[in-house]
Amino acid sequence: MHEVSIAQSLLEIAINNCKNNGFSRIGNIKVLIGKASGVMPDALFFAFDGLKADTIASEATLEIEEVPVSGFCNLCNKDFTTDEKFILACPHCDGLSYTLNSGRELNITEMEVF
Amino acid sequence: MKLKVASKILDANDRIAQENKNIFKEKGVYVINLMSSPGAGKTSLLETTIRNLGGKIKVGVIEGDITGTDDAARIDSLGIPVVQINTGGACHLDANMINEVLNDLPLDELDVLFIENVGNLVCPAEFKVGENMKVMILSITEGHDKPLKYPLMFQESSALIINKIDLKSFLDVDVEKIKKDAASLNQPIKIFEVSCKTGEGIDNWVKWIQTLIS
Ligand SMILES: Nc1nc2c(ncn2[C@@H]2O[C@H](COP(=O)(O)OP(=O)(O)OP(=O)(O)O)[C@@H](O)[C@H]2O)c(=O)[nH]1
Ligand SMILES: [Mg+2]
Ligand SMILES: [Zn+2]
Repeated sequence: MHEVSIAQSLLEIAINNCKNNGFSRIGNIKVLIGKASGVMPDALFFAFDGLKADTIASEATLEIEEVPVSGFCNLCNKDFTTDEKFILACPHCDGLSYTLNSGRELNITEMEVF
Repeated sequence: MKLKVASKILDANDRIAQENKNIFKEKGVYVINLMSSPGAGKTSLLETTIRNLGGKIKVGVIEGDITGTDDAARIDSLGIPVVQINTGGACHLDANMINEVLNDLPLDELDVLFIENVGNLVCPAEFKVGENMKVMILSITEGHDKPLKYPLMFQESSALIINKIDLKSFLDVDVEKIKKDAASLNQPIKIFEVSCKTGEGIDNWVKWIQTLIS
């Protein structure tokens, strides 16, 4: 998996945001992770903790909120939400033509700075 | 204090991918990101494609592997400019890795650049590298259940190359099902059935590439 490159980008974005706003330390960082993003929260925590040492985020923590996969089926015209990691077919009608609305997020939404 | 931010974590990658894309466009190079699981036939497809083109189109190759230079050596022996990237563990190529080797290729002379991604049916589909299109290979020895088990790559690819069809009579694989499922995951996907070993079907694929760049 590629959690290390994700953690690296996350750290860079957080550090840039912190510095650009005139702060010098980072606390808690809130992250949205779609269940279909292919990113495993545990692996991300691990990678993040390994990379943050010796940066202004050395005491930062990650708070991960997982976003379920949801979408709209073009065949039965219904919205759906599922707990599955990947959606193969519409949970209502098994149709294979759908549009995903959520589940692939990999976003930073909020961070604490000092 | 709390800072509200709305950043996509992959923004940095996407930004560098766009930078690469601008460079490729300026140099007039059409870029194909070639993805598959390990051993499906990416390097073999490049070899037959290069032979079939017979120099009519100037091709360059970037080889992405976790370690080793075997694939680059295979391309180099055909007299084609090639750069090997070793990802050192990473399961995919990202935009920055491509950006770092751009100066090692004669971009001014190239018509097409093939980027052979790391063998992996999942992660490469998530990272843009600045390509014009993604193309994936599925070899029939992998089984007909793959489109529905690994939907993302099928959804992200502009073309699916079904390889090793010379082995069809030895296997209980339903090639029609592969085509049907791939098409329902991604309606406009172009599908080619080929054998890199016998050369069957390679003509159609090569003709298609020629129409894309002319
Ligand atoms: N029978 C048969 N064998 C093939 C065909 N295409 C490739 N192979 C064989 O499959 C094996 C793997 O081929 P490669 O081209 O190295 O596969 P790859 O996708 O580049 O592999 P990695 O770079 O390691 O991920 C080799 O032994 C090839 O000779 C084909 O059409 N038919
Ligand atoms: Mg190869
Ligand atoms: Zn439905």
